[in-house]
Amino acid sequence: MLPNRSRTSVLVFLLPPLLLYCAAVLFPILQSLFLSFFSWNGISDMEFVGLDNYVRMLTADDIFWRSFFNALLYLAICLVLQLGGALAVASLLTSLRRGRELIKTLYLLPAVISTVAIAFLFVRIYSIDPVGLLNQLLHWIGLGSFERAWLSDVNTVLAAVSAPEGWRFTGLYMLIIYAALIAVPKELEEAAVLDGASKWTLFTKIRFPYIRPVWITTTIMATTYGLRGFDIPYLMTNGGPGQSSELLTTYMYKTAFTSTDFGYASTISVFIVIECLVAVGLILFMLKRKADS
Amino acid sequence: MITQTAPATPPTAVVPPKPAITRRRRKPSLYRTLSRVLIMLIVIVQVYPLAWLFLTSLRTEHDFATGDPFALPSSLTWENYARAFETGDLGRNILNSFIVTMGANVLIVLFGMMAAYAIQVLGFRLSKFVRGLFLIGIIVPVQIALVPLFIDYSTVNLLDTYQSMIIPLAGFALPMSIYLFSSFFEYIPRETYEAASLDGAGPYRIFGLITLPLSLNTVVTVVLVNSIFIWNDFIFANTFVLSEDLKTIPLGLQNYIGAMGKVDWTATFAAVCVTITPLLLVFLVLNKAMIQGLESGATKG
Repeated sequence: MLPNRSRTSVLVFLLPPLLLYCAAVLFPILQSLFLSFFSWNGISDMEFVGLDNYVRMLTADDIFWRSFFNALLYLAICLVLQLGGALAVASLLTSLRRGRELIKTLYLLPAVISTVAIAFLFVRIYSIDPVGLLNQLLHWIGLGSFERAWLSDVNTVLAAVSAPEGWRFTGLYMLIIYAALIAVPKELEEAAVLDGASKWTLFTKIRFPYIRPVWITTTIMATTYGLRGFDIPYLMTNGGPGQSSELLTTYMYKTAFTSTDFGYASTISVFIVIECLVAVGLILFMLKRKADS
Repeated sequence: MITQTAPATPPTAVVPPKPAITRRRRKPSLYRTLSRVLIMLIVIVQVYPLAWLFLTSLRTEHDFATGDPFALPSSLTWENYARAFETGDLGRNILNSFIVTMGANVLIVLFGMMAAYAIQVLGFRLSKFVRGLFLIGIIVPVQIALVPLFIDYSTVNLLDTYQSMIIPLAGFALPMSIYLFSSFFEYIPRETYEAASLDGAGPYRIFGLITLPLSLNTVVTVVLVNSIFIWNDFIFANTFVLSEDLKTIPLGLQNYIGAMGKVDWTATFAAVCVTITPLLLVFLVLNKAMIQGLESGATKG
């Protein structure tokens, strides 16, 4: 604590940021919680319905559950692409002698592009008429039978809208993991190599345990970002065809701003928050426990 | 037959080490070539779509509709760019994005610094609790704020303004900014503050004369990292802004989807190229600082 500080000086520095934060984040969270117990379309009077919204969501709403499982699959695809891809590329990059900076820059490029631009781009990549990049590629390598309109096929659309999100941010996570990997002490690695450790043991026994704290952070980041994924599915398919690429976030958005069912939309967004908190708790629980054993 | 002859001939006992050595020498280089090839492939996957985007923006419409998508354009044309500027108000969109990014960044940096100063340097009884409050904003998804803010904005007439985008963008970015500034302030030695205090400087002068000038590097980090997300924000702009005059780049690009979902693709791609250029240039010029910022933002978090 600074010796000459006064109570007012603390308030002068703390209040403005706290007010902004309350107005934009804390208060809306409480407001959502409050609204979730009401039925309201924004115009007529608010009607208190108790837990009705929650009961409806959990027991009577098929679209909700469909979106929930879609969101989990979306998350899984994003995590594999982002974390798996990031770890693989970061490891490969450490074995490279030159050009690391250039590759880092190139790899990060998609993260700078807006989601709207990415949605446009991928609509064309997946397109069948005129033939897009993906279908043309499949044709060339002799998998022509897989050619399809990826975004209108109910079996592929969810994967097709997840991939761009994974593609977009894998560079970001790669950077973070790479920074952690090159911080692994060289002596540790050299000692292990002298003891005859293979590349694989070197990775699982030395490198990975060493970067575990960073790995936990990146996993949490990627998971919370994956669970709030919205832009790309919303822009590319708007949840369709049918509900096959509907996520909780897009469903919430439509419930709020298309059906103007503010109460029910708040219930869904409260669920999304709980889901995020549970996910973070689970990750901490699993990864921390493994570290202890 | 072979098993019989092999042990019978003594010279072979001398030979085996040789292949072993070459194998050991070749193995890493094989590994290295493989990893190089893999990295090249992955970089192509990351970069080629963007290069393709640019090439397509230079294609003629006919070429785009009929040609092989991987082929180089048969002839280059700037016509798409002319059409892109006719269809949308790209200049206006870029200006709006710029205003929103600047406004949010000022709040994020100034308020982040102030809160970190109060929590980390001045210190007070509930500082741990306040720090915890700010942590919530890192985990909680932004979508939770959409409905409440929409309702609040409409009661205080803030819908369809720059502020309606700036406030939530700044609010949700504030926790990370506070975090980065706090962890930087830890490195400023206590003696510096104590000496200044003895010389009679109060908390305001210390903030202005010591803390602020010392943290310029962190300011750059915070601004760069946040700018990427704010410049590209879609969800807040899409929810709170309706009028053409206030549309930021992501919304402006949506105007290129015409009636019945018909899209003038080559012009759209030209517009995309125009709008990603400012941030792309900043990124390429400052990529060292930006990469460092992204790394530190997460490894400390």
